[in-house]
Amino acid sequence: MAAIKAVNCKAEVARAQAALAVNICAARGLQDVLRTNLGPKGTMKMLVSGAGDIKLTKDGNVLLHEMQIQHPTASLIAKVATAQDDITGDGTTSNVLIIGELLKQADLYISESVVDSVLAVRRPGYPIDLFMVEIMEMKHQSETDTKEVSSGFFYKTAEEKEKLVKAERKFIEDRVQKIIDLKDRVCAQSNKGFVVINQKGIDPFSLDALAKHGIVALRRAKRRNMERLSLACGGMAVNCLDDLTVDCLGHAGLVHECALGEEKFTFIEACVNPRSVTLLVKGPNKHTLTQIKDAIRDGLRAIKNAIEDGVALVTSHKFYVFSQNGTREVFTATGCVVPGAGAVEVAIAEALVNYKHRIKGRARLGVQAFADALLIIPKVLAQNSGFELQETLVKVQTEHSESKQPVGIDLDTGEPMVAADAGVWDNYCVKKQLLHSCTVIATNILLVDEIMRAGWHIWGSASTYLSICIL
Amino acid sequence: MAGGAREVLTLQLGHFAGFVGAHWWNQQDAALCAPSEAAAPPAELCPDVLYRAGRTPHGRETYTPRLILMDLKGSLSSLKQEGGLYGDAQLDAAIAWQGKLTTHKEELCPKNPYLQDLRSAEGVLSSDESSVRVWSDFLRVHLHPRSICMIHKYNHDGEAGRLEAFGQGESILKEPRYLEELEDRLHFYVEECDFLQGFQILCDLHNGFSGVGAKATELLQDEYSGRGIITWGLLPGPYSLREPQKNVFRLLNTAFGLVHMSAHSSLVCPLSLGRSLGLRPEPPVTFPHLQYDATLPFHCAAVLATTLDTVTVPYRLRSSPVSMAHLADLLNFSGKKVVTAAATIPFPLVPGQSLPDALVQLGGPAAWTPLSACGGPCGTRCFALSVVLRGLDGARHTSRLAPGTALPSPLHACTTGEDVLAQYLQQQEPRVRSSAHLLLAPCNVVPPYPRLFSPSLSQHGLVLDGSPPGAAVESIPVLGALCSSSTLSQTLGDLARDLSTLDVRRWASFLDAGVEQADVEEALEELGSLAQCYRGGDSLTD
Repeated sequence: MAAIKAVNCKAEVARAQAALAVNICAARGLQDVLRTNLGPKGTMKMLVSGAGDIKLTKDGNVLLHEMQIQHPTASLIAKVATAQDDITGDGTTSNVLIIGELLKQADLYISESVVDSVLAVRRPGYPIDLFMVEIMEMKHQSETDTKEVSSGFFYKTAEEKEKLVKAERKFIEDRVQKIIDLKDRVCAQSNKGFVVINQKGIDPFSLDALAKHGIVALRRAKRRNMERLSLACGGMAVNCLDDLTVDCLGHAGLVHECALGEEKFTFIEACVNPRSVTLLVKGPNKHTLTQIKDAIRDGLRAIKNAIEDGVALVTSHKFYVFSQNGTREVFTATGCVVPGAGAVEVAIAEALVNYKHRIKGRARLGVQAFADALLIIPKVLAQNSGFELQETLVKVQTEHSESKQPVGIDLDTGEPMVAADAGVWDNYCVKKQLLHSCTVIATNILLVDEIMRAGWHIWGSASTYLSICIL
Repeated sequence: MAGGAREVLTLQLGHFAGFVGAHWWNQQDAALCAPSEAAAPPAELCPDVLYRAGRTPHGRETYTPRLILMDLKGSLSSLKQEGGLYGDAQLDAAIAWQGKLTTHKEELCPKNPYLQDLRSAEGVLSSDESSVRVWSDFLRVHLHPRSICMIHKYNHDGEAGRLEAFGQGESILKEPRYLEELEDRLHFYVEECDFLQGFQILCDLHNGFSGVGAKATELLQDEYSGRGIITWGLLPGPYSLREPQKNVFRLLNTAFGLVHMSAHSSLVCPLSLGRSLGLRPEPPVTFPHLQYDATLPFHCAAVLATTLDTVTVPYRLRSSPVSMAHLADLLNFSGKKVVTAAATIPFPLVPGQSLPDALVQLGGPAAWTPLSACGGPCGTRCFALSVVLRGLDGARHTSRLAPGTALPSPLHACTTGEDVLAQYLQQQEPRVRSSAHLLLAPCNVVPPYPRLFSPSLSQHGLVLDGSPPGAAVESIPVLGALCSSSTLSQTLGDLARDLSTLDVRRWASFLDAGVEQADVEEALEELGSLAQCYRGGDSLTD
């Protein structure tokens, strides 16, 4: 690959060992930043920008997004790790940790050039399918109670007219009158209220006319809320006022409005059989709200994962999951969750160590390296909780091989515990994805034979990196 | 909301758009704060068109731009993402975590003196130009907490993770996270508008933000059909042949941006101080009485912001405004959505000179400086024109020749300033649909506007014969124009030609970002048909 030198004699070329060293260094740098995040005893990071903006997070994915990563290898690892989050919603920190460990392990063996052995490990047992999981909207019951506006009927339209030319004016007045007529018909002789929700705008004159007849009108509703309203209240959105009939109307027990500074919130409550739900998060400042929203999002995805994988594991410790048809069921088959607290990693490591005896040659070293790398997870969990790494790990491994049950770390005591009994779980799909992607990225990094840095003056700065895989 | 203001929502997409926007809002702010004499007429421009009144949680009244801007991680420097107006130090310090916590503090950036304390900033004269790195360094105006939307996926500077390609920009707004953020902010501002007239979008064309603009205009057209959407495509500084990738990407991004945005906007106007959109760099445009450094975004953005402050006047007038949609209708018939801008900055006026004399002396549109990276503003054939002239003293609008004197030109016979201007346009570009507006209020060029003007200009921008006055220029008269003309046939045609000579496969990273070879060919075709619309002078009937 001296070709680039022929073209640009100022290009720097780092070969083989040096290339690997550069890459491993980047991976370990990332690992160091993220390791303290792992687990419930991990450290929360408060990031304060140069301007004084605050962000609180313990989520590896969020942290990687906040960082401006310039090193190409680190950037690559970060991209893969955050892609994990897009797919399964969890596992970013673990991903980065394992990749770092795999490379560290490889480094130990590199002088005996067992790079291809690590590759050999990747083939058996870990299929390549990637999940395409949608990110869910938040769907929980709303809370808070305030005053006013009685119960009522709804109707929604998705049309708009906002011009003020006289002819238009008459046209609009006619339409407003249609709404008023419907309200009179439906709400006569009752104290029911009538609410109109429009996806487009409503001009002030019409708002006024409607208000005079006791009709609450909301304009510029978000499109996604229009769908959710139908799910929450029954009823149907119509495109045109002529389609409006009594059958289109939905129902809610209570509608009320609450103003908080410049924001106005409209609460629609006491719906019969709602199939769409909102979670209201309250907090004193933006970074707290962001922190809570991030945590909720992660939790929701974990549950979604569990549900989507079909069946659920339930123990005597009150972990319930809804199956796909919406009913609560108790199953004994495992499928979608695996014991957490590092139990899976300890179990896999032991299985690999047993397996390696059946392998000949240098691949055996690769299997050992992989097993050792996985153990970074229980080690860091222990470390973050303030316990001694090696001692805790040995205890857990011993317990596991004796009891033949998946055993993880109790982070309050540092002692081994049966994770399933304690109700600590991880999503199966997250673990599966994690193992696959960290192997792939570590493999690719280890295959880097040369790093070239050519002086293409891009964006006015000195250079850009090129990593070439020579297969 | 003040009764009847026809609200406009401004979007700024990109960092150079941020520079232009910062100068723009500074100019609006200067106009708001200008001390008004006792006998002054009510303001001709209605600020509620661009600003919104609000209230902080503590009950303090605010007046902030109705603005949504998008920029990249690392571009804010000393500006807080939620601005400084609505914060509460005590509440902000509350932490919701009881476990271990480590703090990672970024180096404190030197603060923008204008935003620290507006009162104490009065003493700050011209900003030190070398210290301006990002647009927030010289922004005088407090923004609403909902204004700033940061894109964390890409870095503002550095070597890696840049937003370089059209496809990357498009993908950002396809992601649910950013789409939702934009929709939520749009919803917040639009919901309170009684008579939303439309959106004005300042968008970088040279980098991936052209893709963001394309998707944003598509979104706006979908959700707010019927509102005006005027898109200003911005191109900073001169191009350098020494950065081939940057240059080629600029061409591709500009081409794709123009094609997509013209499909979804009511009007698109490229704004640039360069002379061409193509690959080969040309020296930047020049102005008499104005010297600027074309390599400084701080300077280029100032000139473009003044242009914008002039040509957008019709839809900001307090009485008898021309709505955005109507302005667009005037200029864009038969699908000619792309227009060019031109201006004279300043409008050359000698003290005591009347408007008719000044116009005669100026000559025709050829004397206007073209600001859309095209040739002369009107080319061989002009289809439509909207001209605004601001900053002329009312007494000078018409000529005051003694009765009985021979009239040097038909302009001198007109009785009002509007007539003079209209007559001038009829003379220069006969049979062209045109609209002319005259405004008494000049353009503000007080600091932090850079000192660009020749020392022979007076404090109010009049051209002086004798010795320089010594006082800095504070305001200038400006003539600005939006033209739909056959010069675009050449400009767009050249752009298409440059694009066709490119082997896009060589620039694989552009294609990687989500654009395919077929898209390039399609863009080429659309550019070609767009260029065709402007072919004038042969068989087209009047």
